[in-house]
Amino acid sequence: MADCEKLLAILEEKFGARREEADHQGLTVVVDRENLHDLMLFLRDDQSAKFDMLLDIVGIDYQGFKDYEGPRFAVEYVLKTMKAPVKRMRVKVFVSEADCNVPSIHDLYAIANWQEREVFDQYGVVFKGHPDLRRLLNHAEFEGHPLRKDYPAHKRQWLSTNDYLLPELEARLEKKGYRIVSRSKEVLPNDGEYLEGSCKV
Amino acid sequence: MTALAEKANIITSSLDFIVNWGRKNSLWPFPYGTACCAIEFMSTETSRYDLSRIGSEYVRFTPRQSDVLLVAGTITYKQAPILKRIYEQMAEPRWVIAMGACASSGGFYDAYCTVPGIDHIIPVDVYIGGCPPRPESFFDAMFQLQEKIQDESYMKARAERVKEQLEMIKAKTAECKENAEKAVKNAVSCGVQTIKDGKDNLLKKVAFWKE
Repeated sequence: MADCEKLLAILEEKFGARREEADHQGLTVVVDRENLHDLMLFLRDDQSAKFDMLLDIVGIDYQGFKDYEGPRFAVEYVLKTMKAPVKRMRVKVFVSEADCNVPSIHDLYAIANWQEREVFDQYGVVFKGHPDLRRLLNHAEFEGHPLRKDYPAHKRQWLSTNDYLLPELEARLEKKGYRIVSRSKEVLPNDGEYLEGSCKV
Repeated sequence: MTALAEKANIITSSLDFIVNWGRKNSLWPFPYGTACCAIEFMSTETSRYDLSRIGSEYVRFTPRQSDVLLVAGTITYKQAPILKRIYEQMAEPRWVIAMGACASSGGFYDAYCTVPGIDHIIPVDVYIGGCPPRPESFFDAMFQLQEKIQDESYMKARAERVKEQLEMIKAKTAECKENAEKAVKNAVSCGVQTIKDGKDNLLKKVAFWKE
């Protein structure tokens, strides 16, 4: 615990972070989104922190939350270190509905790529600088963001055709050194079959 | 034995009976397993329960070679077009079993992402309740499907198909006849025109030589 207090003092001084009072057990730090990227870099690389594993990125919608005033959304990063047993911490960023974006940290943690896509899919939080911000869980024709509190939970949306994933696959194979010699007519991309949100190369 | 074999062996039966007998005792399933129901299906295939007793030992992983589409598990809206395409790829005759609560009604996934029963997408022959259903209930579904197949009439379906084909042939011939008549008319009018032209030319020539 003393370790945590020391770390908190450093974060307060360097990045203007403050402690989340609602968290009684562990350490949750609230930070402005301008300082988020620097803070995560510090937490990953500095000898006193060394949080080398990003467990999860969580979106939170505070609409209708009891006794709450403030920005509607929050994005929370759950971090873990492999250097010490059971040492975890959380970093929280508050985002207002009008200006709903957060800097991406996909360059620090590779797993953040998909986790940010999931938060974008479910909550509509835009991650600035993300290389490929598409929906991850819901289908390409889905409208709205289902885990927002104002999305009716039973509103179902049909999908007409499934995603066209071949260009993405080919791009991946070409990255690995394979070369596409010829395509059969059946698999040639057809502009009419593309859906909004599918990967068009 | 040899004496019996030398005589002519004839069994009289209806074609419907023979076809249905063959169909119902070799139902090859296509497992569309997306959740825990598929695990129950696997145990149905093992020697303890042994689905091959009723001729379903071949699990075909291509829709072209299978008779029964076995939907075992939750179907989401993202899955729905894929399931529909697989059903369309299956050759006739084909049957569908909805295995478990999720495939039959959406189960407890009463939310924005789950299809409330696969009968919104494809026709279903037999539903199995349970979450997941035991292998015994799967056997029961297979027996029900066999009973259902026994009532089907191959000859009736064939007669309807032949009727359809006859009508199609008739329509095609009528169309061809019409086209031919049109062509003949065109040719005739063209011919009349050429004859007229020729006549005019001749008259002109005659007039020229007279002069």
